[in-house]
Amino acid sequence: MEEAENVSAKSSQDGTGTPEVSSRMTGQADAAPASTDTRNTGPGRLLIAVYAVFAISATARAGYQILTKFSEAPLAYLLSAFAAVVYVVATVSLARPGRTAFKVSVVAVLVELVGVLVVGALSVFDSVNFPHETVWSLFGRGYGFIPLLLPILGLIWLYRRRPAARKA
Amino acid sequence: MDAYFYIILVVGLLSTIICVTAGLLKKAPNDTTILSVAAVELSLLVYLVGSIVRVASGERIAGEPWEFWGYMATALLLPIGAVYWAILERTRWSNFVLAAVGVTAVVMAARMNQIWY
Repeated sequence: MEEAENVSAKSSQDGTGTPEVSSRMTGQADAAPASTDTRNTGPGRLLIAVYAVFAISATARAGYQILTKFSEAPLAYLLSAFAAVVYVVATVSLARPGRTAFKVSVVAVLVELVGVLVVGALSVFDSVNFPHETVWSLFGRGYGFIPLLLPILGLIWLYRRRPAARKA
Repeated sequence: MDAYFYIILVVGLLSTIICVTAGLLKKAPNDTTILSVAAVELSLLVYLVGSIVRVASGERIAGEPWEFWGYMATALLLPIGAVYWAILERTRWSNFVLAAVGVTAVVMAARMNQIWY
């Protein structure tokens, strides 16, 4: 019942009731979780847009750091590049439909969460060895803590839009 | 911070407020929100033209010039990309996508100012 309410609330928010949504409304309410296999709709569009901005800025920043001053702090700048790759993979996989894209998204967002937590903690407790800025330094403080918030929202969104269990 | 930054600051924040409000009111992107983003693009274009004039008249960028122009090019593409992404699916959420343009432009303009001076 609660699920049905969520679904109808969602379809009224979306304005246009997509076929997928209406089939979910009429279909099994308590069986398999939301069986849509896309994550690029509704709030997902905002999530993807923000991921895209981070993918662009992290890529540009890492490229700039590596091209101009790589020898100053190879580890920090390789980390920057790694973060950039993670954001690019997350953006692309979130935008694509299908089960494989879903799995890739989960891995990318989890790696991002671990990355921001580990790098954030290291930059706080071991600031001598991590003096150089990356997107994830100080839990993404330089970016309004969005890098910390983003993977959490991403995981919530992925959970809500997880593919239905495969029929045996 | 120069006048260009303050123009973008005001226009960008206004655009973000308009788009967030429209999103909270559960409206799909409409003329108001899209034109507010267009205004952000326009203020960025003013910054672009102003910067070209200043460089042409002999002023020097204190930081890396190509970093400045990289930010400028990216900032100019953002509103276009966001409007494209928003009108592909006209839901309230697309207004939040449009809302992100204003603040992002402000942040990028601040960075461009830092590079310039």
